[in-house]
Amino acid sequence: MLSVFIIAGTCLILGLASGFLMHRSDFCLVATFRDLFLFRSWFLIRILLLLVVTSMVLFEMAHLLGLLPSHPFPLLGALSVATLIGGFIFGVGMVLAGGCVVGTLYKMGAGSILSLVAFIGLIFGSGLYAEIHPFWSTFVKKTTFFPGIITLPHLLQLAPGWLILPIGGFSLWLFHRWQQQNLWQRTAYANNYLQPWKAALGLAIINLFSYIIVGMPLGITTTYAKLAAYGEHFFWPRHLESLSYFQAVPLNVTLPWLGLHLQGGAAPRIDAIAYIQGPVIIGIILGSALSAILNGEFKIYWRAPRRQYASVLIGGIIMALASRMTPACNVWHLMGGLPIFGLQSMVFLVALLPGAWLGSRLLTILVMNS
Amino acid sequence: MTFDQSENPQFDIRGQICPSSLLVALREVNKRQQEIKAGRQHLILLTDNRDATTTIPEALINMGYNVSVAKEGSYYVITVTGQPV
Repeated sequence: MLSVFIIAGTCLILGLASGFLMHRSDFCLVATFRDLFLFRSWFLIRILLLLVVTSMVLFEMAHLLGLLPSHPFPLLGALSVATLIGGFIFGVGMVLAGGCVVGTLYKMGAGSILSLVAFIGLIFGSGLYAEIHPFWSTFVKKTTFFPGIITLPHLLQLAPGWLILPIGGFSLWLFHRWQQQNLWQRTAYANNYLQPWKAALGLAIINLFSYIIVGMPLGITTTYAKLAAYGEHFFWPRHLESLSYFQAVPLNVTLPWLGLHLQGGAAPRIDAIAYIQGPVIIGIILGSALSAILNGEFKIYWRAPRRQYASVLIGGIIMALASRMTPACNVWHLMGGLPIFGLQSMVFLVALLPGAWLGSRLLTILVMNS
Repeated sequence: MTFDQSENPQFDIRGQICPSSLLVALREVNKRQQEIKAGRQHLILLTDNRDATTTIPEALINMGYNVSVAKEGSYYVITVTGQPV
């Protein structure tokens, strides 16, 4: 029982720190891609690159030192066409929702009612996915490439260092150039603004702690499905029992340092998913709320055009469906999978770009031109 | 979104989806390009979006406008002018 409290407490602290950093820096992964297409702004792309490369180096160092319970981490699957489709749809959904699965939380914590609506959409969409799961899981199996191979180094039969050294070296040179050109800093007027490069380094360290202590980087989307399952359990318990998605137990791993076996899935019960992801979600909301309150910026505004309410609700539903189809969110893939060269995560990123482009077009046409 | 019919239009976009602040700013500034550049009009935006306090000045200063940002309680007031205030 004590080990469960250690895990849940660690996750809560990591969530609190993430929410605080995200609010202070407004480091939004959706803005990273959306602003590239809408405003040709590369600033946040540089920040994302810093986050990915730093995580890449930190994860590999922890791996070589034997600090990681498993490498690659659990729940990261093999490459499939499903990831390509899911990544594209996710890109559309996240822009329409005005934030990704994590961005929605920190914005909600700061008082955004639109993000609360997106959050409800995320739960609803996760429940909706359970209805198509039998069809989709068959599709995933049929379109999987290289079964059992999770990362690029594994596929190429190389030690990860052979990829990390040249990428790290080139990035170091690039980062130094950007430093000389003063491209890391933003002129900011917001109170107690944290430069996003600092938030990126902070998030890379938080994610490293998560990987070492909990056995995997930050991820939260299965809990959205779990919340949907609790809702269905309340209203339609028989229907819930008939859905195979809620019977699955995808998380099955042992943490040697705690002697703890982690098992969990989307079913409506308190399992490892609940005490790992639940505190992260609560932590991000509270961390952001704390930052907003300390800054005197916490206020609930609800007056927004109806089109925006529709956009965030639909975006939330689409994003949740896609996050089950890939099967994970952008934070999991970009901050966790990409730094270890996860094949699934690399394909997710490739598909996310056109999705974010389409989402940006739709947002401008359907929402902003009203 | 509320529109003040006074000489200096004011847009209250607090609580709206990202990136409405910047898109509204760009749209409205372009509509009133001549008046703002000539100093006949200011554009005022009320936003609670911290990101907008960076992106709006960045974009509009690049377009040759002057932008000032002031915190008012829990939100920010962004003023766009053609000449320094």
